[in-house]
Amino acid sequence: MSDFRFTRRGLLRTGAAATAVAAIGAPALAQSRSLKVGSYGGYFENSFKQHVYPAFTAATGIEVESVTQPNGPDWLVTMQQAAMAGQVPADVSLYGRETILKASRIGGLLKPLDVSAIPAAGALDPYFVFEDATGVVGVGAMSWFVSMVVNPDEVTAPESWAEFWNSEVYASSLGVARNYSSNFLDVIAATFLGGPEALNSRDGIVAAVEKAAELKPNVALWWSAESQMEQAMKNGDVIGGTYYHDVAGLMAADGFPIASIFPKEGNPQNYGSWCLAEGSEKQAEAQAFMDFSSQPETQALMSRMIGTAPLLDREKTDLTEAEFAAVSGAPAIRPAFEAYLEHETFMKETWEAMLASS
Amino acid sequence: MSVAAAEAPPAAAALPAPRWGRLALTGLVALLCAAPFLLVLVISFGEKVEGGSWTWGLTLANYERFFLGHDWPNALSLVYPQRLWFSVWYAALGAAFALALAFPCAWAITRRSRRTQAAWLAFILASLSLSEVFVVMGWDVLLSRNSGLPAWLKALGVTDMLKDGGWFPLLIEWDLANPRDLKFKTSGFATLLAMTYIVFPYAVILLYPPLSRLDPSLAEAARTMGARPWKVMRTVVLPAVRLPLIGSALLLFVYLLGAYVAVTVFTPPEKQTLTVTIYDAVRGQTLDAPFGAAQSVVLLATAGLCLWAAARAGVRR
Repeated sequence: MSDFRFTRRGLLRTGAAATAVAAIGAPALAQSRSLKVGSYGGYFENSFKQHVYPAFTAATGIEVESVTQPNGPDWLVTMQQAAMAGQVPADVSLYGRETILKASRIGGLLKPLDVSAIPAAGALDPYFVFEDATGVVGVGAMSWFVSMVVNPDEVTAPESWAEFWNSEVYASSLGVARNYSSNFLDVIAATFLGGPEALNSRDGIVAAVEKAAELKPNVALWWSAESQMEQAMKNGDVIGGTYYHDVAGLMAADGFPIASIFPKEGNPQNYGSWCLAEGSEKQAEAQAFMDFSSQPETQALMSRMIGTAPLLDREKTDLTEAEFAAVSGAPAIRPAFEAYLEHETFMKETWEAMLASS
Repeated sequence: MSVAAAEAPPAAAALPAPRWGRLALTGLVALLCAAPFLLVLVISFGEKVEGGSWTWGLTLANYERFFLGHDWPNALSLVYPQRLWFSVWYAALGAAFALALAFPCAWAITRRSRRTQAAWLAFILASLSLSEVFVVMGWDVLLSRNSGLPAWLKALGVTDMLKDGGWFPLLIEWDLANPRDLKFKTSGFATLLAMTYIVFPYAVILLYPPLSRLDPSLAEAARTMGARPWKVMRTVVLPAVRLPLIGSALLLFVYLLGAYVAVTVFTPPEKQTLTVTIYDAVRGQTLDAPFGAAQSVVLLATAGLCLWAAARAGVRR
């Protein structure tokens, strides 16, 4: 140990050596290809780092640098400010459909993609490839369901969302997402108003929110963070509500009393897309990544390792029926995303007024 | 006036601050305090781009939306004044409860030996390190059905007693039960409990110095003249610490106006405060920073108004 000491001379020597190594290493580093990819932090990002990015690097030789980004449009604010400063924190970001629509409306944030360089995206359902006036700006990454959950020890599984309105069973017992854009309005529209398209008019929005108001006495928790609902189900504070399908499955596997159910109206399906930042200089690498992500093997890998639903039919992947059921289901309610932007303030305020009334 | 004028020069001489030093200090204060506030003020006049983000502007629409609703003049909506009212209501009650609990505690601590006092103060100072998040997490567990108070009350038979006694419909109406069990979240009760708990150590720390400086012989003199303990408290002790008491109440009140975690976790949406809607506007789905800024300005103005009114009332008496 005695010779391993920091002396001024030793430090200088080490420093000189390091500089020399850096000088030799520099050209090699410049040649290696890399890509900064954003994903929602925590377990989600870790799973990507552990399972998806290494497979991509092995397949293409492109290194991935993982960037933590929030799940929501506030990442757009960060990207906007970064674009003004002339640098992008991530080449590829993960955006929900509503956020892409918003970015597309704001303009100057997303770089159009060359679809011919992303052949695998052709196999995806066209719904998951997002195109605006500038061209294709988003390629579907993975999707997830917000489903109906109940505590099977306390109640029998409902066949329809409408059963949640029964106060004899559910008074002060449900946990529902608080945010107006959490797609619960789509559930109401699909259940009572003939489909999510009903939200495209102000009258439809008012009708859906009035229906939500009728549910208020049954809601014990309007959750804003995922963990709130998780705890409330585990602790028995609520016996049902809305929650992520795949996480509910994981909780059930851990022995907690929760069942994720696809009632006859279905559950809302949301999805994330890979988008290229306007200021990025890594278009070729980004497109290679999107192509890799769209391949059936990668879609299946994400379903198994991250719990997301694949963006193509089960038959095209090698997922077993059980594996598929753990992450997906039918029918899917496709939310009225355009309505959320077209009537943004009206919808939010009508929803807020409903929540505020006692 | 003459006394103040006579005292001023020696004070200035004792601390000779060079002009550039004072300028730098003023600049620092302006940078750290005034600049962010001015930015918020300017943004509050910005315009929302429907379906997009927002742009700089010079509109009063955000303030109109706050006080009259988004659909004014077609319809009047008082959602945001109501949120403001709840902000003030919870902060005022939380501060009052915390002081009411802290006063006897601080009083009792000042009666102990020096060593015991030091131990108590160290303990209370240590508990200050618990952030709002930790406090809320703790109470979240304590109030949960399977692991907390409802489970204990059920085991003790209180729940069944209340059910048999026909109390449940009333409790459900008060947000304190569902058809099967007692439940304490989400409710105004849980919110106030958490808020009171969060500021309680601050209240003790704030009340301890004035109470410990209080001359015990005053109270003893009153006692020997035949005053009962409550009368001594009311006519001797409380008037002597009136100003520190008002000051502490204001500090806790302003602190609680900004409570966020306790409200998001424990408060039902119809009773939530402005902090939640401000965050929602700025960082939520709508990216409506101008409206969030307008709400912040109103909240700040209200806080200033409350401070001013309370300070005036406190000085006048």
